[in-house]
Amino acid sequence: MNNRLKVLRAERNWSQADLAEQLGVSRQTVNALETGRYDPSLPLAFKIARVFDQPIESIFSE
Amino acid sequence: MTASPPTPGLPAPRSPAVRITGFLVLGLLGGAAGMGIATLSKEMNSGWEDTVALGAGAAPLALAAIIALGLITKRGADVMRGCGGLQVLVMLLAGAMMLLPMVGARIAAPGVVMAALAVLLVVQAGANLLLWRRADEMLRRIMAETATLAFWTLQSALFLYAAAERLGLIDGLSAWGMMGILMGVYFVASAIAAARRGIH
Repeated sequence: MNNRLKVLRAERNWSQADLAEQLGVSRQTVNALETGRYDPSLPLAFKIARVFDQPIESIFSE
Repeated sequence: MTASPPTPGLPAPRSPAVRITGFLVLGLLGGAAGMGIATLSKEMNSGWEDTVALGAGAAPLALAAIIALGLITKRGADVMRGCGGLQVLVMLLAGAMMLLPMVGARIAAPGVVMAALAVLLVVQAGANLLLWRRADEMLRRIMAETATLAFWTLQSALFLYAAAERLGLIDGLSAWGMMGILMGVYFVASAIAAARRGIH
């Protein structure tokens, strides 16, 4: 699964640690999400969508 | 040749000199640990089971030291709040529990050592449970994948070993020897599960 996390985060000038804190996960997890090493659970994907104020399908794609 | 600019939001990449120094330090520590285990094993004049157990006891102690070092330096921010200290505690207890049956018998009566081991096991189980509760979903996934991989590997190996023993092809194996092998397989499984998520 692909995602636009890195781009969205860079647009807001957030660090991985900033995003991790907002999502309630570790920085390692944010890094793994951005590099495609980990696909989030549905609850975490919804949380990511809320944090970026965008629909899930505009952040994640197959 | 110019270095690529750092990616926004990511920690600045370590320079080659720092990396090489880190590898050298880790290599020296590994060599010293290996020599220590070999020397201790020779002094104890025990079988391969104790040698494997010494390694399985030293490995989590070394990992605990590395994690603690990471917590002290800037990389402490990498893990979930409240998880780093627990990881260190779990590793320290795992190391102590593997070493105590061999070392403890020289210090105290076997019954006392066994009672201490039971207490340590309860404390470690509690710390592991707390770690699971505090972990985020990726760390939980890594823990679950480690357990799955270790179980699959060990049950396959145990089946083959048990069949060979039943057929009279090989000698029996002590529970202590099996425990050392189990811990070794578990560490390899955890390293694989963590590396798949980019944690080295």
